Amino acid sequence: MTTLSEAGRPGAAPDPADAAEAPVRGLWRQGFVVFCENRLALVGLGLFILLAGLCFLGPLFYHTDQVHTDLAAVHLAPGEQGHPLGTDGVGYDQLGRLMLGGQTSIIVGLAAGILATAVGTIWGAVAGFVGGWADTAMMRVVDAMMSIPSLFLFMLLAAIVTPSVPMLIVIIGAFAWLGPARLVRGEALTLRSREYVQAMRGMGGTGGRAVRRHIVPNAIGTVIVNATFQVADAILYVAYLSFLGLGVPPPAANWGGMLSDGLADTYSGHWWLLYPPGIAIILIVLAFNFIGDGLRDAFEVRLRRR
Amino acid sequence: MVRYLITRLGQALVVVVLVTVIAFLILHLLPGGAARATLGKEATLDQLAAFNHEMGYDRPWIQQYLMYVQRLLHGDLGYSYQLNQSVVEAITQRLPKTMVLSLLSTLLAIVLAIPLGVIQAVRRNRWPDYTITSLSLLAYATPIFFMGLMMIILFSQVWPILPPEAPQGFTVGEVLADPAGLVLPTITLAIVTIAVYSRYVRSTMVDNLNENYVRTARSKGLSERRVVLRHTLRNGLFPVITLLGMYLPALFSGALVVESLFNFPGMGQLFWQAALKRDFPILLGVTVIISIATVVGALVADLLYAAVDPRVRLRGSSS
Amino acid sequence: MSESTEPKVRQHQAAGDGTAVQPLLELRDLDTDIALRRGTVHALDGVSLEVMPGETLGVVGESGSGKTMTALSIMGLLPQGGQVTGGQILFEGRDLRSLPADEVRRTRGVRMGMVFQDPLTSLNPTMRIGYQVAEPLRVHEGVGKAEARERAVEILRRVGMPRPDRIVDNYPHELSGGMRQRVAIAMALVCSPRLLIADEPTTALDVTTQRQILELIDDLREEFGMAVILVTHDLGVIAGRADRVAVMYAGRVVETAATAELFRSPRHRYTEALMEALPETAVREAGKEARLYSIPGLPPDLSRPLTGCRFAPRCRHVTDECRSTDVALSGGEHQFACLHPVSGTPTGPVTLPAPVVREPAPVEAAAPVRVESTATPVLSVQNLVKNYAAHGRGLLRRNAGQVSAVADVSFEVAPGETFGLVGESGCGKSTVGRLAVGLERPSAGQILLDGTDLAGLAGRERRRMHRQVQLMFQDSYAAMNPRMRVDAILAEPLEIQKVGDGAARRARITSLLDQVGLSRRVLERYPHEFSGGQLQRIGLARSLALQPRLIVGDEPVSALDVSIQAQVLNLMRDLQRELGLAYVFISHDLSVVDYMADRIGVMYLGKLVEVGPAREVVRAARHPYTQALIDAVPSITPSATAARDGVTIQGELPSALNPPTGCRFRTRCPLAQEICETEPPLAGDRHQVACHFPLRPEADAVSAQTGTAA
Repeated sequence: MTTLSEAGRPGAAPDPADAAEAPVRGLWRQGFVVFCENRLALVGLGLFILLAGLCFLGPLFYHTDQVHTDLAAVHLAPGEQGHPLGTDGVGYDQLGRLMLGGQTSIIVGLAAGILATAVGTIWGAVAGFVGGWADTAMMRVVDAMMSIPSLFLFMLLAAIVTPSVPMLIVIIGAFAWLGPARLVRGEALTLRSREYVQAMRGMGGTGGRAVRRHIVPNAIGTVIVNATFQVADAILYVAYLSFLGLGVPPPAANWGGMLSDGLADTYSGHWWLLYPPGIAIILIVLAFNFIGDGLRDAFEVRLRRR
Repeated sequence: MVRYLITRLGQALVVVVLVTVIAFLILHLLPGGAARATLGKEATLDQLAAFNHEMGYDRPWIQQYLMYVQRLLHGDLGYSYQLNQSVVEAITQRLPKTMVLSLLSTLLAIVLAIPLGVIQAVRRNRWPDYTITSLSLLAYATPIFFMGLMMIILFSQVWPILPPEAPQGFTVGEVLADPAGLVLPTITLAIVTIAVYSRYVRSTMVDNLNENYVRTARSKGLSERRVVLRHTLRNGLFPVITLLGMYLPALFSGALVVESLFNFPGMGQLFWQAALKRDFPILLGVTVIISIATVVGALVADLLYAAVDPRVRLRGSSS
Repeated sequence: MSESTEPKVRQHQAAGDGTAVQPLLELRDLDTDIALRRGTVHALDGVSLEVMPGETLGVVGESGSGKTMTALSIMGLLPQGGQVTGGQILFEGRDLRSLPADEVRRTRGVRMGMVFQDPLTSLNPTMRIGYQVAEPLRVHEGVGKAEARERAVEILRRVGMPRPDRIVDNYPHELSGGMRQRVAIAMALVCSPRLLIADEPTTALDVTTQRQILELIDDLREEFGMAVILVTHDLGVIAGRADRVAVMYAGRVVETAATAELFRSPRHRYTEALMEALPETAVREAGKEARLYSIPGLPPDLSRPLTGCRFAPRCRHVTDECRSTDVALSGGEHQFACLHPVSGTPTGPVTLPAPVVREPAPVEAAAPVRVESTATPVLSVQNLVKNYAAHGRGLLRRNAGQVSAVADVSFEVAPGETFGLVGESGCGKSTVGRLAVGLERPSAGQILLDGTDLAGLAGRERRRMHRQVQLMFQDSYAAMNPRMRVDAILAEPLEIQKVGDGAARRARITSLLDQVGLSRRVLERYPHEFSGGQLQRIGLARSLALQPRLIVGDEPVSALDVSIQAQVLNLMRDLQRELGLAYVFISHDLSVVDYMADRIGVMYLGKLVEVGPAREVVRAARHPYTQALIDAVPSITPSATAARDGVTIQGELPSALNPPTGCRFRTRCPLAQEICETEPPLAGDRHQVACHFPLRPEADAVSAQTGTAA
């Protein structure tokens, strides 16, 4: 690079006075501003807060019996007998069930997504830093596990153990870490060869310092962004497992399971058993994807040179 | 190039071996081990012990693993007492049908995703891009079975033109003989694939359109059409070949759901039913086979990519 | 400005008979805007230029001046968000802005051609060379496949490609940078255009290749009878090649004149300052000890409304009038937009400084901190070797051979001295730098810091020794953690070496900032908020934090504009004087090294081929390669370029994988004989050379030592 290409940076360099006078803002602040400028990200965040609020705070104000079946009040249409979203085939109030199911979906999704990210980050980081044969071996393990389609793996495990909420978290978390592992390893490899790490080594710094001060802080953004996508995926996996009959057994509920139960009602015209849980899943997955996109911008844009 | 080929083959082989190790470990992590898994919950301790001895499960793990591999190499994946059929037999009946479904939906996805991705890249940050991006995201966020359900309601209930159930034929020929039944499962499986592929095509096309060589092509006075189709599309599509390989696991996962929903008699349905009945020989057999299929598919995609892209093809020979 | 679309007719002076010649291309009041995420950059503001048939117009300016945007506006190739918003582009009498799109495209493809800066990325990587070169023929002239191939071979032959009939079937990545640029030129010329626009065509290339390419463009211009617009940041490139020059600054043309006239007597204060900022000027006019003139500050932000002369905030001669009055270009042949121009009539007869080659032995000026060779050298490199194993990837790693990056290199750097290391890309100069600061371990040989062998030291001791020598990077932005504030960046070396407590460190950082001339406010900021020159200052401050005795600068100013480069070079010199620092100054730019270094080492393909006092190496080179390098460096003294008759090297740099035996330069050397297959030793007293046939004997040792000029 002998001269900066003009086409690449049409704007002239900022006035030095300009740089000195502009308000000093921390990186997290700048990132926050960028995130807030992304309308979709705010929509995603709003959606998440709304859905989480509905599921976790809703039951405080809207009391329903989600334990005992009420065979006298099955398949009530929305609005009938004070059930805003009607009732299902065993007489549970659908709105109350939606809240309860949402709790499971959100808790499992968040916990499994975070678990997967944590395991993957550690695995990938170790492989990337240690390098050599350890790296090769660790990454072949990842390759092998990745070539087993994840849903097959989850179902296999769900068939072995009786699923409960903690078990679902462990199952999904234990096999969804492969993506983050690859990502973090790649990140570690690039960061390790960055010139600022070399500069630090030239001052006599150790490898430990490189990891602590340079590599972790720079990789953290990627990891956080990835975690949000992991949560979205985990929520979908919970839904798939429940749909395939391997979710948490009743009277516990989750959105995937509710959809699965509603399947029998496809032709009976009981639409309120199908659409609310289906739309809820779509909304929460979209919300996390929007948040992830916004975070990615926030982590990247603030470092881009003008 | 030759060196790349050998390296890549070696990698694939290592991965396949590891897959068998994982399957083997899972089998032995089962509560009660493989014996309980095979014989079921009602078996007595004596029966279990006898089974273990017969199958060699009382020997050291290494030896057991070698026996397992040996059986695998002889095409012996075990026996399903519940189906009363050898696992290999059950799989060979179902696998071709799953392949047909996967292939059809992949073809459909490619045919639609490439033009969509190109349109997005060329009109990026304008309404065609925004529309397609929104739809892709929506498709991605929708559980496949919910999508399938919508399809069924729409096309066999509200507007009854297609059957809600997949063809039930025993052979591939019988399945193909009922094309109408294949439409909904294929489309359902393709929709998510289209979303993923078109986003990928968009991003490789956007990257390529920002390359300097595109500016050079424009400086030659070529039409925008020629610049996109002759110069950018070629380079943008090469990486899509590798995506085909990388996407295989997700495709098979999707097939599992679609087959269950539409009652399509493929490997996914076999697996699903086995999971509900805790039929472990089938579960493990299908897992191993589908994983090997994934590894081989990814290998073929990578080699194909290396063969067609001159940047990769000629790198090996010159250095 | 006239609103008529009638093409302006200019008296063509050169024709002498007063016949009116129409300009081939005329820009009238061209405005170009680029819409970015935050606001609009007014990249061009009222640019007017004209290009006569067959002439070469040089457009020169620093980054952000709008020179590339001018070229792209003409070609209609503006980047996303870019748009010509006003003015006319008259090409062969027709305004390209009012023609239908198809017509413009055809004109662009057939009547114009463009060559871009980066040959490595400007060609389609998956298309055969022949197809790419012939594509305009097939599209615009409907030529058939077989004929297209023939004509591709023909045009490739004319741009000097060896074996063009084979090359047509190759892919771009199989060719070197210089060869790819020839392909790009062939592609631009295949339809025999009337105008060739070359945008920094040689910036990414080595000097010797640069010379070949510039000469090629010159030759082809005559052969094809076309006009050339040569866009560059390098005044030297323009001086040797252009008929007329337009100087651009902040989106405007500030001065335009015939080349000789412009370089003899620049009128605009910016042009004047730019020339004074060149190390070449300083060396020629005032000797090496002179400070460079450095233009203070930075170019203005073009996304804001600007009034008055855009150079006013940085100008030495600024008055209040300059800040408020918009100055238009003056009329006549030598146009300039300046209220207080440099006096038009040169005082006394025009004295072009003598060509710099073969100057008599120079005066050895006494530097303030110059310790004689009796002192222990700060850095002593002995028989240094670095080989990289070249192997394939994956499991079956067979050694495919060794890349010989550094081969048996020895030199010493005395305290307070600047040792310049020059050579073209791939010669191993950067590897030597990295070895010296301990970023890599040598394959063989010794590196002594202050007489201590680094290899004999264990971890901690070794790290302590690192304090003595620090590295300064070319791209300071890449060398700083983007998530660390400047205070943390500057504190890091002190923390690593456990120097002082918190308060002491803060005090040290403050004094460092003072030394490199930055305000304390920068401490709370992040690297991406600074310009290149400021970053280089911060980088220098960090290098100084541990009070090293030696700083290894790897191309420290190569990414900077001339005016900013001058600021950094001056700073480096001031610090050397104050602190008694020694530098190893690694650069591909001979004129910068000539200005900075006391002694120079020239590297070729991993070997040190010549070492000696800077002035002697540059003005009385003994190795044919050094001479070729010197001859290839473009100079702003037009006659100097013209007068050079020295060594021209041809061909391509051999691979370091299997370097030639004996003298590594022999495969390209015009003087090579059979004996060159044996390796020549680095011989000589003060001015050493590794050549069997040195160009001249060592300058008289006695006269040099006593410091008398001949």
